[in-house]
Amino acid sequence: MSEKPTPEEIVGSHRIVVCVGTGGVGKTTVSAAFGMLAARRGLRTLVLTIDPARRLADALGIETLGNEPKRVRLPADALEAHGDIELHAMMLDPKGTFDGLIERFSPNEDIQRQILDNPIYQHASGALSGSGEYAAMEKVLEMSESGDFDLVVVDTPPAQHVLEFLDAPRRLVEFLDSRLVKLLVHPAMAAGRWSVRMFQRPVQGALQLLERVTGVGFLEDLSSFLLAIDDLSDGFKSRAARIESTLLGPQTAFVLVAGPSREATRNAGVFLDHLEDMRARLRGVVINRIRQWPGEEPAADALLRDEIPGAERRQLADALGDANAADAVIDAVRDFACVANQDTRNVEPLTRYAETNRCFFRRVPEQRRDVHDLDTLDQITAALAHSEEKLASP
Amino acid sequence: MGAGAAPRLRSLIDCRLIIVTGKGGCGKTTVATALALAAAETGKRVALAETGHDEHCPQLIDPTAPAVGYQGRELRPGLEVLHIRPFDALVEYLGLQIGMQALVERGLRQPAFQQLLAAAPGWRELITLGKVYYMESLQRDARRPEYDLIIVDAPASGHGLTFLDVPRVVQSAIRSGPLRRNAGNVEALILDPGRTRLLPVSLAEELPVNETVELIDRISEQVGVPIDRAVMNRVAPSPYGDANDARQLETRLAELGDDADATACDVLPAPDVMAQCCAWRRERFELGARYVEQLATRTSLPLFEVRDRLEGIEGPDTLLEIGRQLLGTTPNGRDAGE
Repeated sequence: MSEKPTPEEIVGSHRIVVCVGTGGVGKTTVSAAFGMLAARRGLRTLVLTIDPARRLADALGIETLGNEPKRVRLPADALEAHGDIELHAMMLDPKGTFDGLIERFSPNEDIQRQILDNPIYQHASGALSGSGEYAAMEKVLEMSESGDFDLVVVDTPPAQHVLEFLDAPRRLVEFLDSRLVKLLVHPAMAAGRWSVRMFQRPVQGALQLLERVTGVGFLEDLSSFLLAIDDLSDGFKSRAARIESTLLGPQTAFVLVAGPSREATRNAGVFLDHLEDMRARLRGVVINRIRQWPGEEPAADALLRDEIPGAERRQLADALGDANAADAVIDAVRDFACVANQDTRNVEPLTRYAETNRCFFRRVPEQRRDVHDLDTLDQITAALAHSEEKLASP
Repeated sequence: MGAGAAPRLRSLIDCRLIIVTGKGGCGKTTVATALALAAAETGKRVALAETGHDEHCPQLIDPTAPAVGYQGRELRPGLEVLHIRPFDALVEYLGLQIGMQALVERGLRQPAFQQLLAAAPGWRELITLGKVYYMESLQRDARRPEYDLIIVDAPASGHGLTFLDVPRVVQSAIRSGPLRRNAGNVEALILDPGRTRLLPVSLAEELPVNETVELIDRISEQVGVPIDRAVMNRVAPSPYGDANDARQLETRLAELGDDADATACDVLPAPDVMAQCCAWRRERFELGARYVEQLATRTSLPLFEVRDRLEGIEGPDTLLEIGRQLLGTTPNGRDAGE
């Protein structure tokens, strides 16, 4: 038991906390709460969201978020209660970040302009999916190394597959390193190095095929884009390697956020497998919005089975003086008992996983209000900080 | 239903293509599957296409169903379920273009090409929509299409916009050639109000509602896929009477806490716990009702509300019931005449 870290220990002993999980489980809210937890401990903290929706701003009660860190202003009463904190938030602008990378790695302005003006680049960096993930991981590293923050909390995009973003830097490197790119960029050199027919023929075939299907203009654009970006590729490659080693290194902790529904917990299990494959360091599991039975005694089995003795039903009807009201009460009680029981059962595998893998495990109860102010966020932060042993029901 | 004066709706059942989208966790897979089951029941030939990383639809229809894969399988009479995997779609597409599928597949499996595909953005979305376009164009015979209705369980709304915007982006990036033409065909299909509807699915909660409003705005401004209604999923059931009655009931329950006779139950919990359960139910309802209204006002769309089933969707019967409600069909498959 004692070897399990607490969320406070995790934020105190890491530089990056990555919150992962499927969509719709309140990952952004939990990320914001982690940021709050860290900031309360005196850490200069940045919460970085990759989600195009404005959820983090909602949760932190600020109007808008941009590509630059913005400090969260606490209301007067919060300042009085807890003192000031250094909590910042930002929303990633993938295109802006990507443009910045091109500027940084371009050997001269000519190449820089060639890339920025290339139609393939313009669409690849902004509108199309996938590039957001490259840019996100880059920004995490940049912010973590800026020296401005002790901790960066990352709210990852709702991916079905954790590899989609964890793998982005590696995919970029593999792409830049790929023989196809070399062939497009330096056909002569590539032919010299890989004159083995086994390889050359299919690739040339593939290229011809691409031309036939795509039209020549596209290939020209692609080829000039790759030619231009080739000058940058060493910069990209070393950067991507650094990103990967940082994310999978000891200074990064992963926290899985899951919902209590059967589907959400099942998806969480798949996520855990992906994380293990990646050798990412999972340090905690948070179940968000779990429904907890309010009684001290657990709900009776007969209640869960909807077998309410007639005598008890009549007794309640008499006490309330209204049989319809008694039925409505019993419906509400049975429904709540069932969902609370269901939630507890659904999260059991994740509880066990956390136990055997030395991860902290926290349940954040369903909030009766929406999380769009700092008060409600405080309650979630408190649930994270709360020791699970005290919270656990018999 | 939710939105007051609804404009005259073309029934969803008359569409050729319904694209279901929504924030992750809103139940868009559930809604897509429900629509497909109910449409197939009316005698239509229906294809349900899943686009995510993993398959979920087949298991909703039949928990023991093995994966259906890219080729798909008929899981109910007239209902074919398939999983559009971009790579398979690309092999099929290039195979059709060039005429040698096996050769194409061997070429595409080259490590060099695999790396290009892994890094290249946009092609997954385009090829997925291309497959949908291809399915829509298939004919069973001279007069009847292969599928009367195609239902697509599209990526979650964050990616959903990108998904639907790709044909336009490709056309602006590529000057000429077959790829541009194909993107044009796909765009013509998804923008056609005579064939296609985008069906956003939301929950009656703040963030899903915000995201749904944003999605609808941006789709309307940027892409133009026809939207004429939205689904509000898992709407909480109403509590006892109106809000006042419900509150009074909670107070009376709390007062019973002191009454020894009323607390001597084995199955029912103590009155104060019962009061908390009632408050939970009322608050859920109130919160939900507020967001139902918000979505209706902010989008000016008619909303179709799907009642919350607390213990989760248990099997195809519940789904069928939801699908009939959304399509406006009755159990025997006839139009309910809405």
